Amino acid sequence: MISLTDVSYAYPDAEALTLEHVDLEVERGSIAGIVGASGAGKTTLAKIIAGFIPHADGGELSGTVRVDGRDLSTGSLVDAVSVVGLVIQNPFNQISGAKYTVREEIAFGLENFGTPRDEMQRRVDEVAALLRIEHLLDRSPYALSGGQQQLVAIASMIVLRTPVIVMDEPTAQLDPAGTRMVFDVLSALRETGITIVIFEHKLELLQQHADRLHVVADRSIVLSGAPDDVLADDRLAQWAVGTTRYVTAGRLARERGLLPPEVPLPVSFEQAERVFDRERSVR
Amino acid sequence: MTSTLYLDRRSPVHRLNPVTKLVAMLTIVVIVFAVPLWWVAGLIVVGVVVPAAVVAHCGGRLLSLSLKLLLPIIVVLVLVQGLTFPGGKTVLAEWGVLALTTEGLLFALGIGSRIVCLVLTSVLFVLTTHPGDLMGALTERGMSPKFSYIISSTLQLIPAFRDRADGILLAQQARGLAVKGSPLARVKVMMPLLGPLVLGMFTDVEERSTAMEARGFGSAARRTALIPVPDSTAQRVSRWLMLVLAVAAIVVPIVFGVL
Ligand SMILES: Nc1ncnc2c1ncn2[C@@H]1O[C@H](COP(=O)(O)OP(=O)(O)OP(=O)(O)O)[C@@H](O)[C@H]1O
Ligand SMILES: [Mg+2]
Repeated sequence: MISLTDVSYAYPDAEALTLEHVDLEVERGSIAGIVGASGAGKTTLAKIIAGFIPHADGGELSGTVRVDGRDLSTGSLVDAVSVVGLVIQNPFNQISGAKYTVREEIAFGLENFGTPRDEMQRRVDEVAALLRIEHLLDRSPYALSGGQQQLVAIASMIVLRTPVIVMDEPTAQLDPAGTRMVFDVLSALRETGITIVIFEHKLELLQQHADRLHVVADRSIVLSGAPDDVLADDRLAQWAVGTTRYVTAGRLARERGLLPPEVPLPVSFEQAERVFDRERSVR
Repeated sequence: MTSTLYLDRRSPVHRLNPVTKLVAMLTIVVIVFAVPLWWVAGLIVVGVVVPAAVVAHCGGRLLSLSLKLLLPIIVVLVLVQGLTFPGGKTVLAEWGVLALTTEGLLFALGIGSRIVCLVLTSVLFVLTTHPGDLMGALTERGMSPKFSYIISSTLQLIPAFRDRADGILLAQQARGLAVKGSPLARVKVMMPLLGPLVLGMFTDVEERSTAMEARGFGSAARRTALIPVPDSTAQRVSRWLMLVLAVAAIVVPIVFGVL
């Protein structure tokens, strides 16, 4: 569905490349989690996948970016945004400023694409129920907390039903319950065939929901794989990406001789429970 | 939070199509300027604006806001024109070089009644018409969505940015910045705050335009609206009638030279 081959990019007037030789494959109807330290280039990569680079931001982009079989660098930004939805990092800036209620704010994109009114109403209600923000529909988008704004920003993108949704740290301001709900919604969307790319620091949720994980570091994607394999990789620390507490606990147990080196490190709570139960019964 | 004066009330005036209200306001502006008779403006206030304000449950607010705007203007007008009108002959009272004349007062009345009428009309319009509805109605009539976006977002973003400036100021105060003393001293301590604020605004503008594009703002599709703009045949007819009235107010005095 998404295929980046040997992509390199430098911002306008920048001396060095921000991304270099990036390869990325994301299957249709899957959730790809992308992790990386601050400043690693996550937002830049998100904008490349969504077509904003090079259409809106300029700069030097090389390599090929294909989404849904199309080369995004040919064609216009409007073509790109009808295929890929982008939830930007700062929800305050995602709010249009043109609308006075959350209901109209969510419908803003649908209005721009000329969706008929009754369909618009149905879709707004549906999305609001999905993200449990019905009680906010008549409020001003500016009278919301950061987390509520984040939910509205997510709602205003998924209401567009683009085949691909790219989200740049969409749960940064949400509480744990809100974060879990967003991930559950994303999993439900995946079941409908939508492809999701999520840039996120919450590794335990990525482990539960993502089909694959990719690590951005040293200006490229340095590691791709199944979440369990990626999270147990020893090099994560060197890329300033953490891992789950279960992996950390597993490593400590190994150091203290409580876990033999041939037993794979547990990545989730369930795995840790299983591994340590087994070790206890062996002893 | 938002910088609109709109009063959310359920009233027939609020329910009118915003364009009808806009046309009514413009018609009043034209009539008041084209017909140089002070009592015409008075008649409009008594016969149109005040009843509309009562129906709209906005009378109190209209009065208090308009008084704030009008009082200084009226006082200055009466003093300056009443006392120093050059063509003043009929002296009512005299203090040295200053003379209160009937001609001066009549002139002040002519100007003042128009100003009162215009201020009351436009304040009532703003009180009963939500800017979002007005922009929606105008966009539906072919106004550029970009233009309407600029207006609406300015109305909402200015208060949002003001909040941010307050936030930055608060953060600096928490770090020991003193915002006391003479205005000059205060300006001095505020200078360093401008940097983060302005820089923040620039990155915001860039991000914001990205977010807008992502939601199809650049799309060439014919836009639809979630909330329909109410309209009726009666309103359509009255808009045309008001237009005729406005044209008549301009043409009749010229052609017949009656006034
Ligand atoms: N508009 C720009 N012009 C020049 N350089 C930029 C621009 N935007 C970002 N950069 C640089 O590109 C690099 C990657 O930035 P990016 O915003 O993609 O990082 P990120 O991984 O999203 O970080 P964070 O986790 O803090 O959001 C950084 O070194 C940054 O300084
Ligand atoms: Mg970022």
